[in-house]
Amino acid sequence: MSQATLRMQKISGHAGSVAGEDTQRQYTVAKLVDTTTCIGCKACEVACVEWNDMPFSPTTFDNTYQTMPETRWNYWNLITFNEHEKEDGSLMWLMRKNQCMHCAEPGCLAACPSDGAIVQYTNGIVDFQQDKCIGCGYCISGCPFNIPKFNKETKRVYKCTLCTDRVSEGLEPACIKACPTGCLHFGSKEDMLVLAEQRSKQLKDNYNFPNAGVYDPKGVGGTGVIYVLHDATQPELYGALPSNPTIPLMVKLWKGPLKWLGNVAMVGGLIGLFVHYLRFGPKDRDDAPREGGQP
Amino acid sequence: MTNGWVDIKNTDLMLIMGGNPAENHPCGFKWAIEAKRTRNAKMIVVDPRFTRTASVADKFAQIRAGSDIAFLGGMIRYAIEKDRIAKDYVVNYTNAGFIVSNDFKLPEDEGVFSGFDEKAQTYDRSSWNYAGAAAVQNKPGAPVVLPLMPEKTEFDATLQNPRCVFQLMKQHYSRYTPEMVEKVTGIPQAKFLELAELFTSIREKGDMKKVATIIYAVGWTHHSFGTQIIRTAAMLQLLMGNVGRAGGGVNALRGHSNIQGATDMAGVFDTLPGYLKVPNPADGSFDGWMKRITPKPSKPGNWDSFNYYGNTPKFAVSMLKAFYGDAATKQNGWAYDYLPKVDRNYSWVQMWDNMYNGIVKGIFAFGMNGVAIGPDTKKNIEALKKADFLVVGEIYEDETSEFWKSPGIDAEEQKKIQTTVYRLPCAGFAEKDGTFTNSARWLQWKNTALPVPPGCKLDQDIVAQIFLKVRDLYKKEGGKFPDPILKLTWSYTNPGSPSLAEVLKEINGKTAADAEDPATKVQLKAGNQLPGFAWLKDDGTTACGNWIYCGSYTEAGNLTMRRDAGDPSGMGVHQNWGWSWPANRRVLYNRASCDLDGKPWDATRRQVWWSEATQKWVGNDVPDFKADSKPADHMGPFIMNAEGVGRLFAPLGAFADGPFPTFYEPIESPTDNLLHPKQTHNPIAKKFKSALDKYGTSQDGYDIVCTTYRLTEHYHYWTKNNPMNVQLVPEPFVEIPEEMARERGILGGDRVKVESARGEYIAKAMVTKRIKPMQINGKKTYQIGIPIHWGYRGIAEDEDKTAKTPANMLSPAVIDPNAFTPEFKGFLVKVTKV
Amino acid sequence: MSQQNQILPHGRVLRYAFAERLNHWLAAFSYIYLLLTGLAFWSPWCFWIAAVLGGGQVSRMLHPWIGLAFFVAVMRMYSLWAPQMHTTEADKKWWRSLNHYIQNEDDKMPPAGRYNAGQKALFWSFFYGAIVLLLTGIVLWFPESIPWNLRWLRYIAVFLHPVAALMTIANFMIHIYMSVFAERGAFGSVIRGDVSLEFAKRHHPGWYEEIVGGSSSAPRK
Repeated sequence: MSQATLRMQKISGHAGSVAGEDTQRQYTVAKLVDTTTCIGCKACEVACVEWNDMPFSPTTFDNTYQTMPETRWNYWNLITFNEHEKEDGSLMWLMRKNQCMHCAEPGCLAACPSDGAIVQYTNGIVDFQQDKCIGCGYCISGCPFNIPKFNKETKRVYKCTLCTDRVSEGLEPACIKACPTGCLHFGSKEDMLVLAEQRSKQLKDNYNFPNAGVYDPKGVGGTGVIYVLHDATQPELYGALPSNPTIPLMVKLWKGPLKWLGNVAMVGGLIGLFVHYLRFGPKDRDDAPREGGQP
Repeated sequence: MTNGWVDIKNTDLMLIMGGNPAENHPCGFKWAIEAKRTRNAKMIVVDPRFTRTASVADKFAQIRAGSDIAFLGGMIRYAIEKDRIAKDYVVNYTNAGFIVSNDFKLPEDEGVFSGFDEKAQTYDRSSWNYAGAAAVQNKPGAPVVLPLMPEKTEFDATLQNPRCVFQLMKQHYSRYTPEMVEKVTGIPQAKFLELAELFTSIREKGDMKKVATIIYAVGWTHHSFGTQIIRTAAMLQLLMGNVGRAGGGVNALRGHSNIQGATDMAGVFDTLPGYLKVPNPADGSFDGWMKRITPKPSKPGNWDSFNYYGNTPKFAVSMLKAFYGDAATKQNGWAYDYLPKVDRNYSWVQMWDNMYNGIVKGIFAFGMNGVAIGPDTKKNIEALKKADFLVVGEIYEDETSEFWKSPGIDAEEQKKIQTTVYRLPCAGFAEKDGTFTNSARWLQWKNTALPVPPGCKLDQDIVAQIFLKVRDLYKKEGGKFPDPILKLTWSYTNPGSPSLAEVLKEINGKTAADAEDPATKVQLKAGNQLPGFAWLKDDGTTACGNWIYCGSYTEAGNLTMRRDAGDPSGMGVHQNWGWSWPANRRVLYNRASCDLDGKPWDATRRQVWWSEATQKWVGNDVPDFKADSKPADHMGPFIMNAEGVGRLFAPLGAFADGPFPTFYEPIESPTDNLLHPKQTHNPIAKKFKSALDKYGTSQDGYDIVCTTYRLTEHYHYWTKNNPMNVQLVPEPFVEIPEEMARERGILGGDRVKVESARGEYIAKAMVTKRIKPMQINGKKTYQIGIPIHWGYRGIAEDEDKTAKTPANMLSPAVIDPNAFTPEFKGFLVKVTKV
Repeated sequence: MSQQNQILPHGRVLRYAFAERLNHWLAAFSYIYLLLTGLAFWSPWCFWIAAVLGGGQVSRMLHPWIGLAFFVAVMRMYSLWAPQMHTTEADKKWWRSLNHYIQNEDDKMPPAGRYNAGQKALFWSFFYGAIVLLLTGIVLWFPESIPWNLRWLRYIAVFLHPVAALMTIANFMIHIYMSVFAERGAFGSVIRGDVSLEFAKRHHPGWYEEIVGGSSSAPRK
């Protein structure tokens, strides 16, 4: 990919400044998934596997139309199927295209210790660089959406790249291209939000979904994948979509206060001991009989 | 489809029933979503299960499989009762006001129409006619000849005459009350009324602006009364004034990329290309045949009828000229004798029954997995055991070409099977060029994407080479009647491998003589490709393999290759994309989109209209009408009917089982027929009588209604061999209502056995909220669903991950009397945990 | 104990037997590796250490295995030394006089035994630290195997692992300081195993009393 068009604004495990930091590109890209027009056809799943040339892995019947319980290292795009009975007894079959959300404040990137293994391009795409991945799996803990998946063979973690290879060439991601109903859209975050708001207004005004709304959780700074939901007040119905995802508290504590505290303690300790030596010296004075290893 | 895929975007309301387009037609379904997104269109889904389509519907009702006519009849009744019908349209564009013969009787309690011979279980359809027809005296023993329709029909524009079609129809459906609908279909009254109210709301106060479409697929055809379900829908659409209009129509979604093309090109035994009726032995001669199949106009006195099928002789002569070239002359009745005469039913199930009974000795199976697709798999496997030979053209080893490996046949028995099997590796769809004709009647050329793998051959090459061999044999050895083979036109550049472009060119046809259109003065030179079927002649100067495809490959070239996505009207017409039959018209009967004066019912969706300036019909689409027929002439818009109008009442031979659809229970049903207590089933649906043709009843413990369908993750039976699809849906399953599973202690993932009177199917249970128990005639009734796909050859099968039983082990061999389609949906089973 | 209280020739006394020394260095070297790679994972500013040690992937791969070795060493320490590490009344006094100890006013300290209270604290911090590090380390070793509904395990692990590590680091720094810089002879004791009687007397008067009191003959020069 071209460094000129895809500069990085965030780099994991990186000491020092990041060239692209605070250089907001004109557009942050986003996928819009309109769950109200998703028919669960899995064209996006197939397109993802095909474009990324991923190997197949066995699945088993699990009392559902869903291909597998969650995404895999070689299956980045999974439609979740959930049967939901409304209070009036009517049924909803909620289908949601699940993949990396490309958070503006990515928990994976925050948790990653390896320099450059996870980057965020200035267009908002969060991408794993497997050559730099050390396989520690901290990103798995950092992600509130259960997305990064570990490959036991290669000892690397994988996830949706938002088709950086396609996007950098001006193409839409493979999943978007494959969607037959037009429930998937791709464009600037700004445009996608407008489209999403229009659609949720339409759902409220014309389709009897008073709680329709857009899912663009602020807890992770907004996401590069936004949803239109029939009921934005209950995202959990859509296959455990967290209603207010954030980087897990413990990860935040670890990467925040604990880190500072630890650094201060360690550096402070070193200085303290040094100063102690200067001030008090060793317990054996020169005037005391020499003792020790060498006579 | 009367309309087309893209046209669905113009609709205000969709009734999707007997189909699951989101599952089986996801690409076309985008236009349904488009209508929702851009027009706030509403979607009603009625299905035995809460389907993928239902997941994006605005209203859903769960119906008992096979009770669709009761539901639609109830809708007709509701529309009439609430006066939500398109009055001008109904009076002028349908036969609602036509007076029906006094001899015609409605089924009422008897459950059969007039003319039923109880002994022979057949109908004499003479009484199913308009009043005033001349009677025909049939000699006993001779083939039955039906009377003609009266040339001038009596007509009541007020629709008040008790013998007019409208009143008879009203009377017929008066029994289909919401209470009755609830008892028969299992849809609660309140739900039914909600749906009926929404559907008919488009004609509130007689307003004609809005349009509704009805979308269906094989959920309607797979019944012993399938054709009549579709007719009920057509009648409802005529009553609502929705046919011929953008966003309206009755729209059949074809399951495969070229099923439409197959039927257009005589895929069924009783038609010739372009739906010309096949000759039968009683026709005697070309003229006799033409006399039988060419209708004469029949209309109220001062109306006009185009009666386009009056041109049948032109289509037939041109077709025979295309078949036999110079060997077809006026003197020999255009080689009429060379055509096979169809003396009886040769439909799919019938052929396999014949093979089972030793009448058919061998079979060529191309483009189908016969064992898997037919009903009553066990019988079909038995039939193949008895055959002398089987030739299979396929891209995979399938259940048919390895029928002897089906479960239950041991090594000993395998040795006894004497059928010689020839397996011919064919090319896949991406390895061939040619056209696909889609549901919207669009012919779209496709190019070869991949080379044919080594050792495989194109289907057309195989067929051509067999033909050439057979012709050589006839040349050498003579034979009883060699002419139809020896004189068949075969003028391809490479006779052993005809190019499909050449074949399409031949189907389109050309003229043998210079010709001129008197109206436009356009001239053709001898040898030119024909620009359209209006040029066809019955004097032998034109040749055309299929009249409805005439115009697809003209002097301008192969129009099916056009890829201009432009759509100036924004109505989804795409006039220069591919080519659509007939005459590149996108919406059929589009004259009906205008009022009597030729003005569009809805000015925002203008398709065609009468131009006073040019005194012609013009528009965004090609007018489906006589271009210069003034509105004042009152020519009917349904130009393919002799009456010129849409048929609420289908007279005479149009249908085998009644001029009005009436509700019959499926052959295996859990209840009596509440609408016709004395006649439970379609009296003339064909059941078969072999030892393997067993039918179950709820008394025998078969008390669960079972329906079958496909999944979007699959393509036919092929994708069993593709690891991608196997990953998507690893194993066969049976969808079971939660409540039923609870009662029987079945958990999701448990193996269950589904048994019908014919066989059993073993798969894992998918326990779901998406199927609910129903109250049918006061009795709690369960319904289950089985996706068909798996069998005994494929990745999961070969790895022993499945039970290897094809789902059609369960389905009964019983066929609809009109289309001969088997009843794959709504048969009875029992379910036990393994 | 009795063996270790033997006064050796040349007036030295055995403080650490061979097995103890070997185990100490197993723990020490594994700990240092863990510390260095741990620091690499801890902060981007230290990630260069991983590069020096063979790269991030190698460090990630070896860290848990070396961790296991460290844990085994600590458990061996437990079995060798735990009985001597119980807090005594003297230890409590020792803690109260900590400021004297810090200011090298050892004469004002209550007499320490074989191990002073600080050493005991070091021992227990490593013992408990190792247990916490092991448990959280296993979670961090196989994060992909923790099902989503048990993800709190991961959250606890990512937090507690560095907390426990920091605790050991604090003790480790003091330990190094004391043994290498502050107490001459201490480092040698864990290499060769013996210390001089003066060392014992100065740093572990209680122990010295034990040695001298428990010996029939006076120390030989």
